[in-house]
Amino acid sequence: MKEFAPLLHSYWYLLRGAEMTLLMAVVAVVPATLLGILLALLQLFGKRFARAAVLGYLFVIRGIPLLVLLTFTYYLLPLTGIDLPPFWGVVVVLAFYYGAFMSEVFRAGILSLPRAQWDAARSLGMSRRLMLQIVIFPQALRLAAPPFVNLCVNLVKATSLVSIVGLWELTMASREIVERTLAPFQIFLGAAAIYFCICYTLALYGKYLERRVVHGH
Amino acid sequence: MPFDPHFLVRLIPALLVGAEVTVELAVLTIAICLVWGLVVALAHSSRGPLGWIAGAYIQVVRNTPLLIQLYIVYFGLSMIGMGLSGFASGLLALCIQNGGYVAEIYRGGLQAVSARQYEAGRALGMRRWTLYTTVVMPQVVARIIPPMTNQGISIIKDTSQVAAIAVMEMMKVAQVWVESSANTYDVFLGVAIIYLALTSVANLAGKFAERRLAFVQ
Repeated sequence: MKEFAPLLHSYWYLLRGAEMTLLMAVVAVVPATLLGILLALLQLFGKRFARAAVLGYLFVIRGIPLLVLLTFTYYLLPLTGIDLPPFWGVVVVLAFYYGAFMSEVFRAGILSLPRAQWDAARSLGMSRRLMLQIVIFPQALRLAAPPFVNLCVNLVKATSLVSIVGLWELTMASREIVERTLAPFQIFLGAAAIYFCICYTLALYGKYLERRVVHGH
Repeated sequence: MPFDPHFLVRLIPALLVGAEVTVELAVLTIAICLVWGLVVALAHSSRGPLGWIAGAYIQVVRNTPLLIQLYIVYFGLSMIGMGLSGFASGLLALCIQNGGYVAEIYRGGLQAVSARQYEAGRALGMRRWTLYTTVVMPQVVARIIPPMTNQGISIIKDTSQVAAIAVMEMMKVAQVWVESSANTYDVFLGVAIIYLALTSVANLAGKFAERRLAFVQ
């Protein structure tokens, strides 16, 4: 056990990093979700121009690595004169990036509802807004919940990339400790264990939601 | 000064040299994971300790960030005297992580083949090997092409993270160029366009494979 002494000495620092990772993920997931819903609705019900714009956006965001977007936001923001603290800079990038993936999840949820739901709502004389509000959304969101949770797992993992542009969170904290203790194996395994606890809990919740969708309530 | 032609003439060949490493990493990762993922999926579907180990492997690699896995392989292994080059470490970490995802895709494909297909094969007196190669796998392949294509695109984007351990792939080349020149816009546009081209080619290859191989619906 002597080999793991560096980890035991510094686990508190790692946990503080994990706190920052969670904060970043939670703050980013809210605008990402809103953007995802907005993009899904525009793609399904928008005018031709809006649909084309959304498709272009999805094509660009899904074809470029997140690290490229993060790095160049880091270099470009000072040039554009926008004075944004680094934390909010990466939150914006994470939101725009994951918003694109979330829109696919919500679109699939809405599209996988049987046509009869739309027909029934229309035959009751509902307006489109009412129809979406009380018939489509409640069911589509339940269908979209499991893949949504999986995306949240990916988002938590992706926050590790912000350490490359110099933000302090779990991965950065573990790198700092490694520079001090020269024990990369133990420290990075410890960091991996913390990420695993966060992500596996989320993944299990996703599994539970999925079972609920498949077997009814 | 953006879009300086003299700068672009020097930039583009340099980026393409990096893109070559990116493509090498991505192609090798995809090729290895297609085999490794199948091995893991088949082990996971078996009973006993092997199935349990494969299941644990899948959960662990999917619920920890690639960046941390990279650090463990690159810094951790060299600390215990099994140091690998940057490229080899990157390739190993990419295969470890994506093997878990590919195994889950195979598992989904295998589960979608109904028990009757196996029964019919056995009723015809097929041996296990013949049953798998002529009945089961063709159906699995037909079903998994779309998710495999997405995973391939994700692998191409993931290779950018190898820049964190100083492998001169496209992302690292771009970072060096941004830091040694002031033409951030040009470098960003160049990198973004090349990544978009690579992921689009992967997407088209997936579509092509789907048309050729997806005979089951």
